[in-house]
Amino acid sequence: MTRDEIKDVILEIIEDIDEEADFANLDAEAPLRDQLDLDSMDFLDIVMELRKRYKLQIPEEEYPQLASLASCVNYLEPKLKDV
Amino acid sequence: MADYQLIIIGGGLSGIAAGIRAARFGRKTLILEQHALPGGLNSYYVRQGHLLETGLHAMTNCAAPGDKHAPLNRLFRQLHLSRKQFQLQEQIGSEIHFCGQSLFFTNDSTVLEDAIARAFPAGIDRFRLLKTKIALYDPFAPAPWRSSRQFLAAHLQDSRLEDMLLLPLMVYGNAEEHDMDLGQFVIMFRAVFEEGFFRPSGTMREFLDQLVGQYREYGGELRYRAPVAEIVVRDGRVQGVRLADGEELSAEAVLSTAGIPETIRLSGWDDDVERYSGRMSFMETISLLPRSQAATLSRERTIIFYHNKPVLSYRRPDFFLDTSWGVICFPENFAGQPPSDLIQIRVTNAANYPLWKALAPQAYGPMKQKWTAASVQASEEIIGNYQPSIVYQDSFTPLTIERFTRKAQGAVYGSAVKIKDGLTPWPNLFIAGTDQGYLGIVGAMLSGITVVNRHLLQ
Repeated sequence: MTRDEIKDVILEIIEDIDEEADFANLDAEAPLRDQLDLDSMDFLDIVMELRKRYKLQIPEEEYPQLASLASCVNYLEPKLKDV
Repeated sequence: MADYQLIIIGGGLSGIAAGIRAARFGRKTLILEQHALPGGLNSYYVRQGHLLETGLHAMTNCAAPGDKHAPLNRLFRQLHLSRKQFQLQEQIGSEIHFCGQSLFFTNDSTVLEDAIARAFPAGIDRFRLLKTKIALYDPFAPAPWRSSRQFLAAHLQDSRLEDMLLLPLMVYGNAEEHDMDLGQFVIMFRAVFEEGFFRPSGTMREFLDQLVGQYREYGGELRYRAPVAEIVVRDGRVQGVRLADGEELSAEAVLSTAGIPETIRLSGWDDDVERYSGRMSFMETISLLPRSQAATLSRERTIIFYHNKPVLSYRRPDFFLDTSWGVICFPENFAGQPPSDLIQIRVTNAANYPLWKALAPQAYGPMKQKWTAASVQASEEIIGNYQPSIVYQDSFTPLTIERFTRKAQGAVYGSAVKIKDGLTPWPNLFIAGTDQGYLGIVGAMLSGITVVNRHLLQ
């Protein structure tokens, strides 16, 4: 998967989790949770959805690497390179 | 390999919510419900063509779709149900009717504040300060039990106002007698006085159908009339369950929503059942009357919390039923409810489980009849006479509750001692629902979700 594809996947997952998600002014470098008003339960859904779709096991101590859209892409790029 | 990754005991709201979470993320899940219908404490039944709901007077935690932090909206996101498509009807207004004094409240929290300013002019500033304290309090942070009574006495310095505020909050979710944990109080205060009452459009049946539909959509399995007789434990782990008909089903994990006492009994968990047996149970009478003959009754009240004695007595009565206080609910009095030919009145009073339990079989029916009449009569003193117009009436007692929900001693709010982390002596047996600590319909569902998220998904 390319970086752009990974970004699209993340946004698609968030949109699926939250029907009210608004990406109009999303800053890729800033924390997703603050910008989209997500809580830790929503955040878990992103992790669970990645696991369901790509069999990715993301250990809890690595959750912080999913904080922003840019860090998500950086973290997932090597893991999804063959997908 | 086990038959299931997760077996959930109980198809009530916490069990179904837990099931949706587990099934959504690919866990092979089975819900076992002893009854022929889903819903547990909040279910329904049909008699003479009337669909009658059990438990539900109103749901708490009303919230508009946009507020992402509201418990109701978090719940919908977790269940992956569209909040925008969920139609709800807000209460018209409710009243605390306490020994001659009254406080009216709606889902606009300023209405209660205004009512307090009128009825307790000397106490309104203290009440406003109390509200800011409640807003700042984090009820979900782990904390030892703290007395709500002491907190309220210190802040309000008015025992009548304290009692009046506690009445609906206790009636809608307190397993303890007399006092409640401050964290629970804060949760209930927000749920009832700040967010408020609503009901789903349509009946409980449609709401439950939607939830069960979502669960099945994700591949979850559900068996009705499948009472669990034993949680099978071997080598320090739960192996699965044995059903009443002898069938054994293996599971990697079991989640019990049957309450702590029942889970202790099913699993042979070495603990004192009595310690976890709640003392608060209720009898409820549902009366149906023609709308035309109910003209004199209130259209302006959704729920009336009444209390005739001067000091709040939220405790198990010493006799069969305490009609000196209770709840009167008009399920038709929600905004936008389509008019029906018949209206319902539901009256709920605290009941003494051991006395009902000790009755000989032939004495139970007449006793139920006697106390049904007493309950209706007590409510008539508040809302006016309606007994002669009743076309259908049914009551349930603590024994009915225990039989259909397995809540020990018919304690609808479960144990006064909660297991907030959902853990048991076995690494793969968990508790969710009323005895995990979240209450009400929204709370019960969040409980199922939280326990699955924390212990089974991560």
